[in-house]
This record gives sequence, structure tokens and C-alpha cells, in this order.
Amino acid sequence: MKNSSSYTAIAYLFLAPALILMGIFTFWPVGYNTYLAFNNYSIAEGTATWNNFEHFKYIAQEELFHNALKNSLLYLLVVPVIQIAALVVAKLVNNKLPGMTFFRAAYYIPVITAISIAGVVWANVYKYDGMLTWLLQALHLVPQGPDGQIDWLGNPDIALYMVMLFTFWKGIGYYMVLYLAGLQAIPGEVEEAAILDGANAWDRFWKITVPMVKPTILLCTLLSTIAAIRAFQEIIVLTKGQADTYTALYYVFDQAFRNYNFGRGAAAGLVVTFFCLMLSAIQFRFFGEKK
Amino acid sequence: MSASHSAEKVLSSSAKDSAASKKRSRNMANSRKAQRALALAGQYAGLIAFAIFTCFPFVWALAVGLSTDPSNTWLFPRSFWPTEPGLMWFERVFTEMPFLKYLKNSTVMSFWTIVSVVVISVLAAYPLARLKFPGRNLIFVAIIATLMLPSEVNIIPNFITLKHLGLLDSYWGAIIPNFAGAFGIFLMKQAFEQIPQDLIDAARVDGATELQILWRVMVPVSAPSIAALSIFTLVNAWNDYLWPSIVITTRDKLPLAVGVFNDLTGPFAVSTSLVMAAIVLTVLPVLIFFAFTQRYFISGLDGAVK
Repeated sequence: MKNSSSYTAIAYLFLAPALILMGIFTFWPVGYNTYLAFNNYSIAEGTATWNNFEHFKYIAQEELFHNALKNSLLYLLVVPVIQIAALVVAKLVNNKLPGMTFFRAAYYIPVITAISIAGVVWANVYKYDGMLTWLLQALHLVPQGPDGQIDWLGNPDIALYMVMLFTFWKGIGYYMVLYLAGLQAIPGEVEEAAILDGANAWDRFWKITVPMVKPTILLCTLLSTIAAIRAFQEIIVLTKGQADTYTALYYVFDQAFRNYNFGRGAAAGLVVTFFCLMLSAIQFRFFGEKK
Repeated sequence: MSASHSAEKVLSSSAKDSAASKKRSRNMANSRKAQRALALAGQYAGLIAFAIFTCFPFVWALAVGLSTDPSNTWLFPRSFWPTEPGLMWFERVFTEMPFLKYLKNSTVMSFWTIVSVVVISVLAAYPLARLKFPGRNLIFVAIIATLMLPSEVNIIPNFITLKHLGLLDSYWGAIIPNFAGAFGIFLMKQAFEQIPQDLIDAARVDGATELQILWRVMVPVSAPSIAALSIFTLVNAWNDYLWPSIVITTRDKLPLAVGVFNDLTGPFAVSTSLVMAAIVLTVLPVLIFFAFTQRYFISGLDGAVK
């Protein structure tokens, strides 16, 4: 049998492709972003010069960035809604009843659709005379005729929430599958025993299901929080940042590829990264291993 | 006499009692059955309502794409059913945009992404799961920590890196940053950890190299997880929008998610019918693939969340 030093060589050999690629495209960008954020980068010459926190000073007083960051944080509202809904839906399709395969697949369809393509369809849902207006008029929730025709993506008071609804629609199937995998690990006897003891569905959900899938809840909440802070692609395909839907990553993207100010974009990106890490740390503290 | 009378009374009353209690218990059983049926009906009603919520945009897109007469497009709920059904708009998609070229680009890019992700993840997961070596925990934590970073922030440095490598506006440039990721490595590591040590020891006694153990023992046993990873990677690669839209500038090299979106929001935005036909055609390949493979999907993810 081989000794452990020969395993070390083979281990690093096997890890090499992953580490090299992640090094170039994941770890290096973090370091390089930090470097760019403190420098003026010239695209033409590829040179960078130290600028004494100029980018940070600039974005710290810029209204546009403040608003973008506010919208990104507001986007976090979607997290609890999508998580509770996904867990409930996963619970519903976890039964051994006919048709469950169909429902699981139906809920997963938005996930396997490209965000750009889904966005084009939803632009028609949100058109002033589109599907949402029709539905609400049919239910008599808004006035009939042109009075009730709301430009869902053009009104700054509601546009961001409409984009959140799109995120909810697009993402719920993804978390449902993760919860489903977690739920299938719960032995059936636990729930049966609770039913015999007379526990109702509400109690069973909160006292059995939720505690037993807690690790999955942590994973999903974490992923969904980061996805909310990074909200950007849904905005680019639905509103292009108009009507007060401009988010922090949209700002990063605009600074880099429209203003060609890579340094300022990187500085804003660093702020977003900081928020992601901070929120992850908070969640680990509150939901993580605690006895 | 009176005693027997009272005994009779007791008897009859107890008989009445038992009849009543039987009736009551039957009623209770009935009401419990009714309650359960009601709960079941409620459950299905909820499931169907939610299925309508997730599917209605596609039903509408399909109906509009199939309607050769577009006059009902904005008439609800009439437009959820095709008017004068025909494939005219679908044919026009192929003649008016390079749909087949986009399709080919998406296929080539997705294929190489899947192959690379699976090979790289399997190779990296094996030592992390089964070999003891210095730095193992540190490497694993570093890989998992990347899940917490907003990957969009990497766009700027990666764009610069690819410019230096001369990979801008190429297939490889559009897919190479996705080759190594925390999700794939984590999923395979979880799968490999569930394999009994005896299998590995037996192979080692037989003189197998680590690569042979990986290929002949670990990989075949973890087939469901590899299938899940492949499906997951395919869906991501097929739908990747942002990065290819930045890297690729030549129209003929664009994948479906970017090319169709650019065309639909640009020159073809005027015809909703044509737009919806193109959308149906774009979603269809993934949908068919997923329909055939979805039963592997959930079972393969099982280990990841335990």
C-alpha cells in the first residue's frame, strides 16, 4: 500500500484542472477587482494607476449608486416569500399521489427557460393591455377600460415589485427541487406518528418538516439571498433599469461596459461582494449549526 | 317484577346506546372520510392553480405562435387558444433569423461545457472525498466559499483576462469560465463519500491505480449524480445569457438565448406572433430533454442536500 505522500501528489494532480480554472476565472477576479477598485484603469494602454480611494469617494456620494444599492437591498423581500412558497410546494408534490411527476415538471419549466426568453414573454404579461391587466379587470380588482390599464413595468412605484414577481416565478421550481431532495430524506414514520398523536397539518409543518429540512433551508436561503443582491439579468431583460429598477450590479455593468470606467465598476462590485459576504455571515449565525 | 322491568330498561337503553354510538362512529368515519376527500381536493386545487401560474406564459406563447391569424393576440382569454392554427410563423422563424445557426452554436457550447464540467468535477471531487492530503480542508472551504460571491462581479476581470488570452468573440471564451465550479465539485464529493471504503480497498489490493479506481469503481456507482450534474449543467449552459452576450460579438457565433433575444427585441419586435413562435422553438429542445431525463434529476440531487 502507498504511503500518504504519494496520495498528496496524486490528489493535487486530480485537483489541478479545477484549481487552475477556478484560479484564473474565480479567485483571480476577486483579487484583480480589489486592485482595479483602487486604481484608474486605462483600457487602451492596459495600465492602472493608484488613485487614493477616488472611486469609493465618488460612489459614496453618488445618488445613482445609492439608489441602485437601495433597490438591490429592497430585492431581498423576495427571499422569504420564495422560500416559504417553495417549501410548501415541495411538501405538496412530495406526496405519493397520482400526477405528482407532472406537477413537479410543470413547476420546473420556468427554471429551464433562458432568462432572456422568459423575459420577452413576461414583457407581454406586463404590457398595459396585457395578461395581468386582463386578469385583474376580469376579477374586478382594477377599473375596467383604459382607466385600469396599468403600465406595470413603467410605473416607478411598482416596477421593481413586478420584476420580483418574475424572479419568484422563475426561481421557485429550483428551490422546490432542492427542498424535495431534502424532504425525501425524512423517514415517513415520523410524520405518521405525529398524525396518530393528533397533530394537525400546520403543527406538523412547523414542528417536523421545518426542523428536519433545516440544512436545506439554510442552503436555499443563502443561495436566494445572494441571487437577490445580484438581481440584474431579470432587470436587463425586463426594464433595462428604467422606472426605478436600477440595481447595484446594473450600475457595475454600466460603469464598466458603457462608461468604460472599469475601476469605478470594480469598486461598486466590491461593495456588492461585501454585502453578499455580510448577509451570508449573518445567516450562518442565525440558521447555522446551533444547539 | 320491578327489578326485571328496570333490568329490561337498562338492557334496552344500553342497546339503544350502542346503536347510537355505532351510528356516531359511522358518522365520524364518514365525516373523517369527507374531510380527507376535501383536503385532497384542496391539495389538487392548489397544485393545479400553481401549475397554471408557472405555465400560462408558455401556453399563451404557443397559442399565439400557432395562430396564423394574429388578430386575437391581445384578446383574453380567447388568445390562450390558437385562431386558425397553422405553422406559418414557425416556418418564418427559420427563414427570417439564423435560427439553425444559433441552435448549432448552443449545442456545441453546451456539449463541451457538460464534458468539461463533469470531467473536472469528478477529478477534483475524488481526492476531496476519499484521499487524505495536506490542505484538503482549506481547498474545500475555498471552493465552497465561492458560492457566496456574486459571480457577475467577475465579469470585468474575466473580460480583461480573455482579451489577453485572445479568446474574445470565440466559443471557448464564452464557456471556459463555467468549466470549474463549486456546485459540480460539491455534488460529486457528496456522491463519492457515500461509496463504501471496502470497494476502494479491494481495488487497491488488486493493484489498481487511483485513476483506475476513480474510473472503474467510483464513476459507475455514482452514475445518478453524474446524470443530475449533466442535466443541471446543460440547462445552465443552454440558458446562459449575460456572459456570452458580452464575449461574443459576431452574430453567427451567438447561442440561442442571446441571438434570439437580440433579434426578438430588435428587428422582429413588431410581430408578436413571430416572436412567440421563436420562443416556443427555443424552449422546446430543453423541454424535451428534460422530460426524458427528469426522473434522474431529483434522485441524483438527493445526496447534495443531506
